[in-house]
Amino acid sequence: MDTILECRGIEKSFGGVHALKKVNFSLNPGEVHALVGENGAGKSTLIKIISGALSQDRGEIFYLEKAVNIGSPRKAQEIGISTVYQEPLIYRELSVLENIFLGREIKTRRGNIDWNEEEKKARSLFESLQISPHFIKQPMRDLSVGLQQLALIAKALVYEAKVIIFDEPTAILTEHETERLFEIIKKLKERKVGIIYISHRLEEIFRIADRVTIMRDGEVVGEHLVGGINRSKIVELMAGRLLVEEINHLGKKGEKPILTVKNLTRKGRYYDISFDIYPGEILGFSGLVGSGRTDIAQTLFGLIKPDSGEIVYQGKKISFSSSEEAMANGIAYLPEDRKAQGLFPILSTAFNISVTVLKEISSRMGIVHNSQEKELGKKYVKELAIKTPSLDSKIYSLSGGNQQKVVLAKWLGVNPQILMLDEPTRGVDVASKSEIHHMIASLAEKGIAVIIISSELPEILKLADRVIVMHEGRITGAFEDQDITSENLIRAATGERMLKTKSSPIEEKNYDC
Amino acid sequence: MTANLQIVIKRREFTVLGLIVVLMVIFSLSTEKFMSVSNLSNLLLQLSGVAISAIGMTMVIITGGIDVSVGSILGMASVVAGKLLMAGSSFVVVVLSAIITGFGIGILNGIIISYGNVPPIIVTLGMMSMMRALMYQVLGGRWVSGIPPDIRIIGLGKWLGIPLSMWITAVLIILFSYFLSSRPTGRAIYAIGNNPEAARVSGVNLARTILIVYSLTGLLVGFAGLIYVARTGIVQTNTGSGFELEVIAAVMLGGTSVFGGKGTVIGSLLGAVLVGIIKNGMVLMNVPALSEGLVIGILILISVMIDLVRSRGESL
Amino acid sequence: MKNIGSQIVENRVLFLLVLFLILFGVFAFSVKGFFTFYNLTNMTQYGVELGLLALAEMLVILSGGAGIDLSVGSMLTIVAMIIGVLIGRAGFNPSLAILIGLIAGSAMGYANGFLVAYPKIPPFIVTLASLYVYKSLAMIISVDPRFGPNPMPVSNFPESFYFIGQHRIGGLPFQVLFIFIPVVLILMFLMNRTVLGRHLYGVGSNETAAIFSGINVKKIRVIVYTLSGLLSALAGWVITSRIASARPDIGTGYELQAITIAVLGGVSIKGGEGTAGGVVLSIAIITMLYNGMQLAGIHQIWQLGSLGLVLVGSVLLNQILYNRRKF
Repeated sequence: MDTILECRGIEKSFGGVHALKKVNFSLNPGEVHALVGENGAGKSTLIKIISGALSQDRGEIFYLEKAVNIGSPRKAQEIGISTVYQEPLIYRELSVLENIFLGREIKTRRGNIDWNEEEKKARSLFESLQISPHFIKQPMRDLSVGLQQLALIAKALVYEAKVIIFDEPTAILTEHETERLFEIIKKLKERKVGIIYISHRLEEIFRIADRVTIMRDGEVVGEHLVGGINRSKIVELMAGRLLVEEINHLGKKGEKPILTVKNLTRKGRYYDISFDIYPGEILGFSGLVGSGRTDIAQTLFGLIKPDSGEIVYQGKKISFSSSEEAMANGIAYLPEDRKAQGLFPILSTAFNISVTVLKEISSRMGIVHNSQEKELGKKYVKELAIKTPSLDSKIYSLSGGNQQKVVLAKWLGVNPQILMLDEPTRGVDVASKSEIHHMIASLAEKGIAVIIISSELPEILKLADRVIVMHEGRITGAFEDQDITSENLIRAATGERMLKTKSSPIEEKNYDC
Repeated sequence: MTANLQIVIKRREFTVLGLIVVLMVIFSLSTEKFMSVSNLSNLLLQLSGVAISAIGMTMVIITGGIDVSVGSILGMASVVAGKLLMAGSSFVVVVLSAIITGFGIGILNGIIISYGNVPPIIVTLGMMSMMRALMYQVLGGRWVSGIPPDIRIIGLGKWLGIPLSMWITAVLIILFSYFLSSRPTGRAIYAIGNNPEAARVSGVNLARTILIVYSLTGLLVGFAGLIYVARTGIVQTNTGSGFELEVIAAVMLGGTSVFGGKGTVIGSLLGAVLVGIIKNGMVLMNVPALSEGLVIGILILISVMIDLVRSRGESL
Repeated sequence: MKNIGSQIVENRVLFLLVLFLILFGVFAFSVKGFFTFYNLTNMTQYGVELGLLALAEMLVILSGGAGIDLSVGSMLTIVAMIIGVLIGRAGFNPSLAILIGLIAGSAMGYANGFLVAYPKIPPFIVTLASLYVYKSLAMIISVDPRFGPNPMPVSNFPESFYFIGQHRIGGLPFQVLFIFIPVVLILMFLMNRTVLGRHLYGVGSNETAAIFSGINVKKIRVIVYTLSGLLSALAGWVITSRIASARPDIGTGYELQAITIAVLGGVSIKGGEGTAGGVVLSIAIITMLYNGMQLAGIHQIWQLGSLGLVLVGSVLLNQILYNRRKF
């Protein structure tokens, strides 16, 4: 049996940060090969390279035994590598049938689209996958996300895909739809299609995958047949043996919580969230992408409205309706995607640092004191060791680490009571990472309540006084002191209910496997 | 069967048709001049220019763009046709030159938009003035009038009792409906309007498709210019000024969303009829012609709001 | 190793300065009647109206979100008519009429801004529709029932009304000294030294980051469109005073010119980039171009035509420069 796809020695760096280090990966026809790892482990980079969205710096890809240079998503699709993304790439207003065939239409001799043939083919495709094709003429936007996904799978088959990549496919599906997806995958296997399946749900992997590759820190740390490995071994490989640099912070917690969240719920994002946070403590939020942590932070920041539940801040019930309001009340949020959400790329460093605190450095009439702005900028450049040619340099010319420091400086200026950091060191070089960590620790020492959302375990282990773990919108674990271990965090992150705190009895509910 | 009927009724075109009927009733009750044969046939005659141009504008707006230069294209094509007629050129030459003029301007628009990456509003706005200046130059500041009668046949001649221009309009509508619904390039236009990224990945050549859209629009408007000259026998320095408003209004009222991705040629035809009836009704009811812009502008805003409400409602 | 040439092109203000000097030199030497005190100061008079509109476009385009205001010409016209009708036909006190006109302009700008910010209708559609609505309204207002159903200009103004448009101090036109220069200074101050200005640049350069930084994006957008209305109204007042007549067709074609001047002056179509200084230089250049063409006997229509060319050319130039920038 020949391999359909083989990647040898793939390397990729982004501005000094190694995203992939000599990665090997292979796929056989009719096989489901799962790819697991935390965020930042390199899974998405590898997939982007295979699907043509990125090019590798070094290494070769062999497709159907021949060396290829994929180069673009279009080419990948043409040669038979299709990707079903988490966010479906669809034409909302066009019919399902069209979504399937657009770009690869079946034409009549005269050159116009042969709708009858297309319909026949689509129907037979769906029927062979045992799905009733009653919806194929409806506009795509009328379909549930699950059905849209199925349509995209049909599209992949129309393109005669030999490799189909699924990126967290069940994240948006109901249980019923998930079952249906698994049936389809079985059928795809029968057709000798090779499937790369990315998921953080270990239960699923044990159900449908044949092989599993575990990645960590840009490397492949294990490749096993699913029958020859168990869950805890996978967990251990994902987490690894971590050398954690100790940070001594005098985490002097205040006596009363500064913020209490009770039964916060927002349909589709998070359910029944309750926790406290005290001044001076660092509360870590662990969990995988889509677990709802960012949504909670954004809710506290006034950008999202919860459906139900209560937020008590400084002893009063609050409900912020805008980021302006949250900021005015001392709540700061450093967003996940610094390029899109945190920075003003064509504007200067000084601007980026001062934009949140303009009120402080301006008179009542709204006139900004340039000198004060400069002082502020200088202060933070020094404190955070930001490397920039001058305060007037445009942000886009700074490195990732320095950009992140600027975003941090922006929020420090606000002198917040609560500072929420969402993936604060993502894409940041090692030296800057360490500097930022020290900054965070000293912030807590000053009495600020810090929430740190991170997918990087070492970071959480290093900094957090307490850790809350979320999975699919719910809290699955809350840990303190010596219970903060990477194994506990990962198990909770993958769905095990482990609500273990000092004062409550241990509850452990495993889902399956 | 009833499910299909329901789908038909929900469609925007049906609503527009209903509106047309309602307005016709209102107008014919308000003044007996409305329902006369001469009025209605006059109305239809004037309509054809807008309807033909609306075909192109529909495609443009589906891709998420806009073309405000169509007024100047109409003017320019009219000038070319008018001048050639006065110089005694043959029928075929005149027809071809009008069309080629429009096509050429459209291609220019398309190239700058798709390869230069300049926003359509900017390109077509600039082209609008450039062409108007050129037009003025060619006309030498004067009108062209007294155009020889043989060309008038396109504008006023009839076949089986229906004006030739309407036959042509009908043919074009059918042709382009077919193009947009059955040809891969036609469907690619919708794809680009819905999700350009997905279209690119699916192998659609975005630049080429957009170029085609603007060129065809120019071509169609060029033809509309010819019909205009044939119908009125005059070309003025401000011919076509304000034409773009009518065309855009026709397309939007007819159900093409300014957000891109959907719309039909038939809908735009109905939209053109609607706009034409409103204008006609206003004239007959002695509403000052000055209010035209006001009414049409407000109609455009209303139809955009309706689109908004619909799309917001659906995406929940 | 950048040579002077590319350095000039990249620094827009420098580029404009050079262009200005070159054009000035060319016209001074080759066009008769250009280089006289009277002509030069005359030129600045014309430049004020267009200049105010260009500054309006600068603000609107800066705010991003495909910001554009196609209705500036029509707002100018309708305010001119309001002022004209109130003074000339209804006998209002000129100062009161002018005030009403300015308020009306601001209100119209506010309406545009509201539709852009809240239901999020694309600006080109909102302002295209309002262009026609306001144009039409201007025509309607201009109809004098005593003289039949046609639009008619208004010309009977009291002498005091002409002071802003026609009088001079030391040879320098009033509107330049007392309207244009103060407006430019205020806008420069607003954009560089106030919180509002910072927020404006933030919103235009990255709307998402602005939201995440606690800036009220909607409020900023409404403000700039309202300002656009106010500036258009000012221009309407000035032009009416200058030509001593309120005409219902006066503002036709101005939007193209205003947008061209703004874009040439360094305002990026994408938003978040551009300075008042660049726009002022650009106003000077275009005004000079018109003046030179007129003195050289070239018909007015070519002014507009060549402007269309300049518009597309400058956006293309901006694109190329933008792509050179690495991010």
